[in-house]
Amino acid sequence: MRRRLVLLAAATTSVVLLAFTLPLAVLIDRAATNAAIATATDRSQSIVPTVAVGTAAEISRAVSAVADRDFVVRVRMPSGSVVGRPFDTARHPVDPRLRATEVRSLPDGRVILDQPVLRTDGTAVISTLMSERVLDAGVWHAWSVLAMLAVTLFALSLVVADRLARSMTRPVTELAATAERLGRGDLDARAEPGGPDEVREVGLALNRLAARIGELLAHERESVADLSHRLRTPITALRLEAESVRDDEARGRLTSAVDELTRGVDDVIREARRTIREGVEARCDATSVVSERVAFWQVLAEDQHRRLSLVLPDRPSWVRVSRPDLEAAMDALLGNVLSHTEEGIGFGVELRRDGTAVLVSVRDDGPGFADPSLLERGRSGAGSTGLGLDIARRTALASGGALQVESPAGGGAVVTMRLGPPAE
Amino acid sequence: MPPGYGLGVASLLLIEDDLRIRTALTRALGERGHAVASEPTAMGGLQHAIDDPPDLVVLDLGLPDLDGTQLLRMLRSVSQVPVIVATARDDDRVVVEALDAGADDYVVKPFSADALDARIRAVLRRSSTDGAASTIEVGDLAVDLKGRTAVLGGRPLDLRPREFDLLAYLAARPNEVVSKRTLLAEVWQQPYGGADKTVDVHLSWLRRKLGESADEPQLLHTIRGVGVKLVGPPG
Repeated sequence: MRRRLVLLAAATTSVVLLAFTLPLAVLIDRAATNAAIATATDRSQSIVPTVAVGTAAEISRAVSAVADRDFVVRVRMPSGSVVGRPFDTARHPVDPRLRATEVRSLPDGRVILDQPVLRTDGTAVISTLMSERVLDAGVWHAWSVLAMLAVTLFALSLVVADRLARSMTRPVTELAATAERLGRGDLDARAEPGGPDEVREVGLALNRLAARIGELLAHERESVADLSHRLRTPITALRLEAESVRDDEARGRLTSAVDELTRGVDDVIREARRTIREGVEARCDATSVVSERVAFWQVLAEDQHRRLSLVLPDRPSWVRVSRPDLEAAMDALLGNVLSHTEEGIGFGVELRRDGTAVLVSVRDDGPGFADPSLLERGRSGAGSTGLGLDIARRTALASGGALQVESPAGGGAVVTMRLGPPAE
Repeated sequence: MPPGYGLGVASLLLIEDDLRIRTALTRALGERGHAVASEPTAMGGLQHAIDDPPDLVVLDLGLPDLDGTQLLRMLRSVSQVPVIVATARDDDRVVVEALDAGADDYVVKPFSADALDARIRAVLRRSSTDGAASTIEVGDLAVDLKGRTAVLGGRPLDLRPREFDLLAYLAARPNEVVSKRTLLAEVWQQPYGGADKTVDVHLSWLRRKLGESADEPQLLHTIRGVGVKLVGPPG
């Protein structure tokens, strides 16, 4: 925008400068010619009396007195003889019938002034040839001053245009930076309203929007906290009641049912809290999360004598998932493998790109799933296995991807989370 | 020092608005040897704590008339009575805020009576010794509960918060086999799912940091199918 404004100023200024300086330059040229003709007329007039009545010798003296390098003067007497320094009369013939002063321009640019003088013996003509030097006197100087002035004005207009453009674009650039920070989830970012009225309006609107998002998230947080309170309070009462049952077997059944209920409720609350965790934009580097979570679980894998293979790209893989969500999903998947396969059975984690999506696979060499399609849809009902996969499935879905569960022909199980790219 | 504790019955004040929880907890804690009084509102609870100072307060953070954390601050301005907060909000912000406001410990709903009782006893024990003996020693291992640091054979251990909690819990019960279910409930305050490996992976880390392995255990012994115990020196 700034560049365009400067270009606009450059175009306008150059047109205006040309429109003024070109006629001015022509005018200066004319003025110099007129001044030379006026001088020639003066000199020529000063010898008119002598030419009218003087002898040839007197005329010759008078001519020598007024002629110099720049004004070559000659007098053609009525007899046809020429007094003074002759110049090419063949190329510049004098009209013998001349009755009034005449100015002639020669093809080479020089100018001749012819002044007829009546004598008793006929009409003599005083011709004054002006040199180029005198005709152009001061023109080049005036032109160079004019050119310098034009260039200075042009440069000045560019500087002023740039300043103006900057004062207009700076608030816009700052607005863009604020919007970018808000987009990254920094809800405390506010624009400093400034610049032209329209831009100031946009800044104020952006600030109102940011405040509103903050309010909505705070409200969401309150709602989830309230949900959590309303669900967990009765479960607490239920658990305390269940624990007070005297019969051991009944108490065991009741408390494990309460445990299951609690896990379900935890899961619901966790899911309800997703928007709060994500904030304005869910985004994390899957490479670093996967590498960190694998490193965390690796110690247990070693204690269980399991082989672990890890394939990771050596650069960040940005995905549309908040870091805590991806951590929880990885913990669920890795925890599942360690819980549901025999100790000593190896497993592997691989992260690879597929177009803009990122695929995170956890593979084990265990017996595999009986019916993978049930688990994929999250309808397993298989206690913790299902719950772990549920977390991974919902994380993948929320990112715009999907969860794939397979039992390959060669044995084992592969769970793959396809994670979508972060919003542009 | 709380007058009741150690000599017999500790008097507890339960500030909780839910009638069912009040009734059940009063009975359950009563059965575990405490004298329990209860109040359904924050202001009633504050008045009670001033009029008839208890040995310990169990405070629900979600009270109808006043935010529990605010009540805690008001209570702290007049009394140093130990407080355990009960919260249904498991987000760390609320817990940290409550601990900063002067809570001694916290339980997350839904908690069991045993878990709450264990915490009540631990807090009363700590406040009765008043920090002088807040260090548990098992052989070469010394766990400082107040400073949350652990030293093994003169070498300080670099532990994550959960690892410290786990070690402190086991060190308080040397030679006692503790089930993973109990650890999950007491240390993590989470329900047991039957196949949860959270406890196992933390135990693996703890072993590493104690400088031993599962195959050659020294302090931490896993009893397959039962649980884990921290083995003290013989005798």
